[in-house]
Amino acid sequence: MPSELPRTLNQYRLAVRAHELSAEEYLEETCRLIERDDPQVRAFLHLRLDAARSDVRAVDPMSPLAGAPIAIKDNIMMAGERCTCGSRILEHYVAPYSATVVHALIAGGAVVVGKTNLDEFAMGSSTENSAFFPTHNPMDLTRVPGGSSGGSNAAVAAGFALGAIGSDTGGSVRQPAAFCGVVGFKPTYGLVSRYGLVAFGSSLDCIGPIGRSVRDTAIMMNAMAVHDPKDATNVRRPCVDFEAALQSTLAGKRIGIIRELEGLEVQPEIAASMEMTRKAAVNCGASVVDVSVPHILSALPAYYIIAPAECSANLGRFDGVRYGLHEDGRDMTETYSRTRNAGFGTEVKRRILIGAFVLSAGYYDAYYKKATDVRQIITDELDAALQSADVLLTPTTPTTAFRIGAVTDPLEMYKADVFTIPADLAGIPAVSFPAGKDTAGLPIGLQLMGARWSDAELLSSANVLFTALGGES
Amino acid sequence: MTTTIGLEIHVQLATRTKMFCGCSTAFGDEPNTHVCPVCLGLPGALPALNAEAVRLATRLATALGCTVHEVSEFSRKNYFYPDLPKSYQITQFDRPIATGGSVPIVTGRGARSIQLTRAHIEEDAGKSMHAADITLGGETLIDFNRCGMPLIEIVTEPDMQSGEEAYEFLRNLRRLVRWLGVSSGDMEKGAMRCDVNVSVSPDPAKRGTKVEIKNLNSFRSVKRAIDYEEQRQAQCLADCTPITTETRHFDEVQGTTSGMRSKEASNDYRYFPEPDLPLLLLDAEELKSVRAHMPELPWEMQARFERDLGLSSYDAALLTEERSTAEFFQQTIALYDNPKKVAGYMGTEVSRLLNERGKELVETRLTPKALADLLKMVEDNTISNTASKDVLPLLVDTGTTPLEAVRNLGLEQVSDASALEGFAREVIAENVAQVEQFRSGKEAVLGFLVGQLMKKSKGKANPKLAGETLRNALKS
Amino acid sequence: MATIIDKKTLEHVATLARLEITLEEEGPLLGDLERILEHVAQLSSVDTSAVISKRPFMTLLRPDEPSEGLTRAEGLGGAPAMRDGFVVVKNIMGGEDA
Repeated sequence: MPSELPRTLNQYRLAVRAHELSAEEYLEETCRLIERDDPQVRAFLHLRLDAARSDVRAVDPMSPLAGAPIAIKDNIMMAGERCTCGSRILEHYVAPYSATVVHALIAGGAVVVGKTNLDEFAMGSSTENSAFFPTHNPMDLTRVPGGSSGGSNAAVAAGFALGAIGSDTGGSVRQPAAFCGVVGFKPTYGLVSRYGLVAFGSSLDCIGPIGRSVRDTAIMMNAMAVHDPKDATNVRRPCVDFEAALQSTLAGKRIGIIRELEGLEVQPEIAASMEMTRKAAVNCGASVVDVSVPHILSALPAYYIIAPAECSANLGRFDGVRYGLHEDGRDMTETYSRTRNAGFGTEVKRRILIGAFVLSAGYYDAYYKKATDVRQIITDELDAALQSADVLLTPTTPTTAFRIGAVTDPLEMYKADVFTIPADLAGIPAVSFPAGKDTAGLPIGLQLMGARWSDAELLSSANVLFTALGGES
Repeated sequence: MTTTIGLEIHVQLATRTKMFCGCSTAFGDEPNTHVCPVCLGLPGALPALNAEAVRLATRLATALGCTVHEVSEFSRKNYFYPDLPKSYQITQFDRPIATGGSVPIVTGRGARSIQLTRAHIEEDAGKSMHAADITLGGETLIDFNRCGMPLIEIVTEPDMQSGEEAYEFLRNLRRLVRWLGVSSGDMEKGAMRCDVNVSVSPDPAKRGTKVEIKNLNSFRSVKRAIDYEEQRQAQCLADCTPITTETRHFDEVQGTTSGMRSKEASNDYRYFPEPDLPLLLLDAEELKSVRAHMPELPWEMQARFERDLGLSSYDAALLTEERSTAEFFQQTIALYDNPKKVAGYMGTEVSRLLNERGKELVETRLTPKALADLLKMVEDNTISNTASKDVLPLLVDTGTTPLEAVRNLGLEQVSDASALEGFAREVIAENVAQVEQFRSGKEAVLGFLVGQLMKKSKGKANPKLAGETLRNALKS
Repeated sequence: MATIIDKKTLEHVATLARLEITLEEEGPLLGDLERILEHVAQLSSVDTSAVISKRPFMTLLRPDEPSEGLTRAEGLGGAPAMRDGFVVVKNIMGGEDA
């Protein structure tokens, strides 16, 4: 085994294929790290290290992922493994089937080491809403890793996996990637199958890869972006090699800066990083343009109507009749209420209640219908902006990782999603990549958004910037 | 007193798999054996729409004369009940696949066209079987085999005015869905279910309070329930007892309706567009093709049989009850052009035999050619009509040709003049008294003498010729 | 000032969603919900009169071919109560559609 272990999936794969390293050896090292450090980080809800050791023996080094250890967010089904969604209502639930993406990754040579922690049912921005325990940011254990895919991002940052998948509904893959200093990618809605992802906001949810580098997420996308007839919102697209599409220049590319976001308050180091990255983009051949998305600040309120509405329906199935937690009541209504009351945490209840409210008779038009229309406006405006620019550059988050327990006001927590939410509403691809650190040494993440179906081009642009800023592939 | 009736009918579409997943739609198997993540509402499952369900629904909507909408949308209807795994049903609310349409009926009151409001497709819930008295906190058993079955829901305008009209409507709708191969229409197997809305008002200009009736297991129950409810509401009006808008349960045994125990204030279903299913877009060319290739509808054919072929309304109705029967009839008259005779024979002899055998026409070996040949043999006196009744079972059971059957049974009619003359002489000799009666003017006695001749010929004599031969013999 | 959501509405919505709100939860919950709903209500100032909804169309419908499902044990192995292959539920009163 080499003295310096590969740090990225790409490096790992090269080493394995060059016989410098075996998949088993690397997995063993990974297990050692997990056993040593996860008790502090707490990225995982369930580990399957013995099963992984067995799986890795059957892997083909020529497969796309070559036996790399991968972590999966615990709201994505993997047959035979528990799938808790970070909730008491599914605390003991074992998945009888695997998500399409999980099948695809395993077929591509991934070895799953475990299921990662998340905010309950993917609702949250810190992983503090997990019913079980919070995850700690590997960069500073007193701080949150972000959420809701906090566990997956922490696992990659801490070296517990060479890649992970999470789900992104309002920013849940990208925001924790920014907080943990890794790359988190939300593909175009409909590119990656959602079959097997426990639904939160059906029209918003995307499964996305998390990696140490942009190239790593591209490698994962090659395995993940399969057409799935079991997901009616999945669109069959021409086959793309995301890794081969990575270029080394931004020549001819226009980087758009959204005018209406300029006035938003962000941590000074983040603003500085934006400035530095703009300059780097120009050095790599890009031009910077000013674009307008007039209603972009309405994205947050629109999201906080649509997502809860969809979740209130999606979480109706958790009633204790066929699976999950069951608490008895005097009649059916009480049985349902007792079960759901015992099973759901406060944030989940809040969102279900908002959702039921905005869909209820008398409120539907003013809230849900209104929000859907505003969503269309924002989508149209973003589409237009992405005619005048190839990609849009924004911060991923207004601040770096905050301390565990620091943000208790739900509304304040919601407002932290202001930069990530628009891409979910519009269904366009967006990626967060590391862009320096703040004065406390905490990672800063910046975001690039691209036009619908321009996933490969977007990753390419992100890769150029990532590399220019010192990122290792 | 005016009665206003509207119906909501759920028809199960005859597909192999469910609406949103590939589970089997087969009836009667072990409980909870046709299940998967989708129809069980497991976490992470997603719906995938059945192409055949859309095709069948489109065919039916077109036949009903609906406006079939090229673009329609699915919706979530949210409520909690144990047989609804997702706690929402995927249905169509704002933008159904079809609107308008009608079904013709004929009752004692005459011919009418019952208007439809809309038709839309949706998934069925599971089947709940309640222990005898659920009010005592008993158990309910749930089978999810039915959950996710494809349905088309048809809503009528409040256009019917009697239980009889509702009955005829349902009969005709059932006839149509079977005719088109869209559904078996079997109410007993739950392939067709019906909820009724009834209101009674003394003033024809003002509609009364609407009452919904559920738990109707047959067309007859529908009629009985409406008749009872009509009476009940009329009585209430006479007594000045208020009629509440409610859902009532029909008791099969008593033939009465009763209020269901404290139904909660009407549920807010919080409909919203189904995010897991994009818009359904029907191909315009295919829609045109469906319209162009629509077969003659049962009631159209029935009317044509009466009008152009001169059939009785009884025969026309019988022949157009099932499409296979109608096609059999048409193929038979193509070979033997006597519709009335064919219809008559099918309505009597064939019908009777099918009842005896407990079979449908298509389940037997009888072919249109065989029937045509048989009737031709009767017409040209090769066999007697009576003898044909002995031949028919063989055609039905074994599929032999009439010619073979007649030969095997030795049933050729005796038309040979000398043989008949011989029989006639014997009959005259043996029945002196009757011969005297005939000769003294009693024409009717000839029938008896012909009967005797038929006996002698073991039924094989051609009755007409037998009569002529006897008459000639008696003259001398 | 009139609130968007009052106690009665909260109870109604909680019933619709089959959630139990305890007495301790009620106050803080109402407060949080009020502030959230106030925040999202700012959408009313956006002019949406000219919006045309652009939902995509379904591209592929599923062929009517049987596919492998789950066995009863796989699908319902975690059910709290089963008998003779049926899922058992107690104490249903009234009911939705038959």
